[in-house]
Amino acid sequence: MTRLLVADDSETVLLMLQRRLEIEGYEVVTARDGFEALERLGEAGAQDPDVILLDAMMPNMSGIEVLEQLRDSGSKIPVLMISAHLDAAEPDRMRSLGASDAIPKPFEWEDLIGKIEELAGNPAPAADGDAA
Amino acid sequence: MRFNPSLTSRLRIGFLVLFALLLLVSLLGVGRLFQVRVNYEDDITRSFQLELESERLQSAFILEQAAARPATGQSLPNQAELNRAAANFAEAVARARDLTGGDDELSADLSQLAANEAAWRQKVAQPLVNGKLPPPGVEGTRTKAVTTSGEKLANASSDLRDASRDHARTETRNTTLLVAAGLAGALLAALILFSGLINSMRAPLGRLVEGARRLAGGDLRTRVEVGGPVEIATLGRAFNEMANSLERDARERDRVERMKDDFVLTVSHELRTPVTVVKGFAEMLTAQRQSLNPRQYEAAEVIAESSAQLQKMINDLLDLARSDAGKLRIEPTPTDVASLVQRVGRQMRPHFEERQQSLAVTVEKDLPDVEADPDRIAQVLANLLTNANKYSNEGAEVRLAATRVGDEVEFAVADNGPGLGEEELNHVFDRFWRAQSGETQEVGGTGLGLAIAKSLVELHGGAISANSTQGEGATFRFVLPIATDGQETRTDSASRTTAGAAT
Repeated sequence: MTRLLVADDSETVLLMLQRRLEIEGYEVVTARDGFEALERLGEAGAQDPDVILLDAMMPNMSGIEVLEQLRDSGSKIPVLMISAHLDAAEPDRMRSLGASDAIPKPFEWEDLIGKIEELAGNPAPAADGDAA
Repeated sequence: MRFNPSLTSRLRIGFLVLFALLLLVSLLGVGRLFQVRVNYEDDITRSFQLELESERLQSAFILEQAAARPATGQSLPNQAELNRAAANFAEAVARARDLTGGDDELSADLSQLAANEAAWRQKVAQPLVNGKLPPPGVEGTRTKAVTTSGEKLANASSDLRDASRDHARTETRNTTLLVAAGLAGALLAALILFSGLINSMRAPLGRLVEGARRLAGGDLRTRVEVGGPVEIATLGRAFNEMANSLERDARERDRVERMKDDFVLTVSHELRTPVTVVKGFAEMLTAQRQSLNPRQYEAAEVIAESSAQLQKMINDLLDLARSDAGKLRIEPTPTDVASLVQRVGRQMRPHFEERQQSLAVTVEKDLPDVEADPDRIAQVLANLLTNANKYSNEGAEVRLAATRVGDEVEFAVADNGPGLGEEELNHVFDRFWRAQSGETQEVGGTGLGLAIAKSLVELHGGAISANSTQGEGATFRFVLPIATDGQETRTDSASRTTAGAAT
C-alpha cells in the first residue's frame, strides 16, 4: 500500500485530503505544519512515506523550509509541493528548490492523483474509476 | 518687496512714457524751428535796413561833396550847408551803427567809413570852405577812400543777408534732422520698452505652457516657477494649486484603488480554502453514489457543481485582482500555435458535443511560433470557446482559426449564434457583464471570462476585439506577436485540421 505524508495548515483541507486519499486506497499520515511533518518523519519505528505532499505556505514552518531540510539531510523521498500561487513560473521554482513535482492550488482531483501515482512509481495511473 | 507692476500698469506706463517723449520732441522741434524763423526774419530785415542805410550814407556823402563846392555865383562854399550835410552823414552813421547789432566786421567797416569821411572833411572840405585848394591828388584819394569804404559796407550788408539765409537754411535742416532723430529715438525706446514687456511675459508663459503639457501628459508632480507680471504670476500660482489638488486627488484615488485591489485579493484568497474543502467533499460523496439514496446523491451533485462554479469565479476574480495590482505574471516563450490551438480544441470538444454543436479548428500552414505563455493563451481560447458554446443555440457551428496577419498571428473564434447588438459590443469586455438575450438567461458563468481574456492578451502585448451582427453570430479576434527567435517555418504535417460535426 502506498504511504503518504500530507502537510497542510488548514484542518478542514487536511481532513478532506485524508478522507479522499484514503478512499483512493492510500495510507495517509497528516501534519498541521512543517515541524509536525518533520516530527512524523523522525518518529521511531515509523516507515518512510512513499510520497510527501507539502503545502508551500504554512505558519511556523513552511513547506519550502521542510523541503530544504529534507534535501539537506540527504532524503530522497519524492515531494509533491502544493503551491498557492497561480504563477506560471511557480512549479519551476519549486522544482529548482528540490521538489519532485508541484501542483498549483486549486487543482482537479484527477491531476493530484495522477501526480501522486507518478511519484510513487506506480506505472499505471488508476485515474479512471473516480468521479463523473 | 520687489517692484512688480501689473500688466495693465506696465502698458499704461509704457504708453505714457512714449507719449511724453513724442510730445517733448515735437514741442522742442517746433519751438526751435520757430526760433530759427524769427532770427532769420530779424537778420534779413536788419541787413536790408543796413543796405538801405549804406545807400543813404553814400547819398549823404555826395551831398557833402556838393556842399564843399561853391554854388553858382558864389566864390566860396557855404560852411553852414557843409555842416548840415556832415550832420546828415553822422546821423546816418549813428542809425547804421544801431543796425550792426554788434557785428564786429560791420562795425569796423562803419568806423572806417566814418573815419574816412572825417579825414575827407578835414583834408578836402575844410580847405575848400576856407578858400584853399587841397594839395593836388589829396582830394581824389580821400574821396575815393570814402566811396570805397561806403561800397564795402554795402557789400558787407548784402553778405550779411546771404549769410543769414544760409544760416537759417542750415538751422532748419539741422532742427528737422534733430526732430526726426528724436522721434526715432522715442519710438526705439518704446520698442525696447514693449519688447521688454513681452519678454517679461514670454518666459513665465512658456513655462506655463510647458507645465500644462506635462500635466496633461500625466506627470502630476509638475509645478511651474511663479514669475513675470502680476497677472501671469497669479496664473502660475493658480496652476500650481490646480496641480496640487490634482495630485492629491490622484493619490487618494490610487490609495482607494489599491485598497479595493487588496480587498478583492484577500477575500478571493480567503474564500479559496473553504471552497476547496466543500468541493473536495462533494466530489467525494458523488464518487460514492452506491452508498447514497437518489436525493442525497442529487444534493451532493449540486453542491459539487456549485462549488466548482464558485471556485472558477474565485480564480477569475483573483486573476483580475492580480492583473489590476500588476501582479499577474506571464512567462512568454516561443510557442507552437498548431499544437496549442489543437490542445484547447481537444479539451473543449466534449462541451460542444454535449450541445450538438460542431467545432472546426483550422490552423494556417507553416505558421511561425508566437511569443506567448501557452497556459494563459489556452485560458483565453478556452474562455472564448466557452462563450461561443454557451451563448449559441444547440446545433450551432463554431470555428476556431489561427492565421498570419503581417507580423502577428490572429486567433479567431466565430459562431453563428444569436450575436450581439452594437450597444452590447461596447460592454462585452466589461467585468460581470453578461449578454441579456432570452436564450442566454440560463447561462451560468461569472461574466469575467472576457475581461480576463482582454487582460491576458494585453499582457502579451496583443489586442482583442469583438464584432458581430445581431442574429448572425459573433467573432472574437486577438493577435499575438510572432516570436523573434522562434523557428519561422515550423512545418507541422497536422497543422491544418478540420474536425467534423459532433452530432
